Amino acid sequence: MEKNEIKDRIRNILIAVLKHDNFVIDDSLTAKDVEGWDSLSHMIIITEIEKSFEIRFKLKELNKMNNMGDLVELVQTKIEQK
Amino acid sequence: MSNYTIRKATLEDISFLSDAIIAAEKSNTDKLSLSTLFNLSELEVQELIKSMLDEEIDGCEFSVNSFLVVELDRTLVAAVGGWIENLVDKNPSKILKSNLIGFTFPKSSIEYLQANAEVIKEIQIEREIFTLQIEYVFVDENHRGNKLAEKLIKQHIQNALSTFPELKKVQVHVFSNNQAAIKLYERIGFHVAKTYTSNHPRILNFLPFNEKLLMEINI
Repeated sequence: MEKNEIKDRIRNILIAVLKHDNFVIDDSLTAKDVEGWDSLSHMIIITEIEKSFEIRFKLKELNKMNNMGDLVELVQTKIEQK
Repeated sequence: MSNYTIRKATLEDISFLSDAIIAAEKSNTDKLSLSTLFNLSELEVQELIKSMLDEEIDGCEFSVNSFLVVELDRTLVAAVGGWIENLVDKNPSKILKSNLIGFTFPKSSIEYLQANAEVIKEIQIEREIFTLQIEYVFVDENHRGNKLAEKLIKQHIQNALSTFPELKKVQVHVFSNNQAAIKLYERIGFHVAKTYTSNHPRILNFLPFNEKLLMEINI
């Protein structure tokens, strides 16, 4: 799956969970840049991403992700591994 | 302090730490938010906390390395968690904690949380970067009155200053109906920095109280 398609899907998930679209999905985006992306939202966002792409993250993979670029890269890798 | 000794927690203390976390979370009520928010029994939560601690992720409230414990005659009687927010890892503790819960808890529990998350949104407190976070203060009821919590918190501050001399602030969260804890923190030198109140009609279904205080010491 192309990165742009992955980003679009993630963008829609973020909008559905956070109930706003005041952010841009660029590689440097982090949770602290986005209003409402707290610990509760984060859990839900990750779960929704796993459901949407039919993948499952390992704990160390989740903790290695520092920004949106890392997340998109990891999602793409996991889709390819299926 | 008689024969009470303070030491760092180890993996062997996981059962005690799980019980300490549950007791601290309840904040002198019968409401365990990890149970109510995720639709799990206390027994299930106990096992899940142990699993999370077992992952040995540093830098958040579910880190064995965050805890100092007090031992008396080889029995653990008190525990306090503490870490410097964002010091080593690029991830803030809220992300580490969320990843642990998201990874460990059943998916059905996360879905249950999703349906109720808006109830507790107003009462979420952001942790300030490079501050010492104190969390999960627990003293066995048979050992209260010996200043164990105070000694543990002061030890955390001392340890934090030796690894991070630039430390400027210590933060702790407490529900405002937990008068005993508030008095303890005030004795140590904490003051109320901010109050977080939720007026959601269902908040008390999930949390011990509808108001939380952010208390701080400026070093």
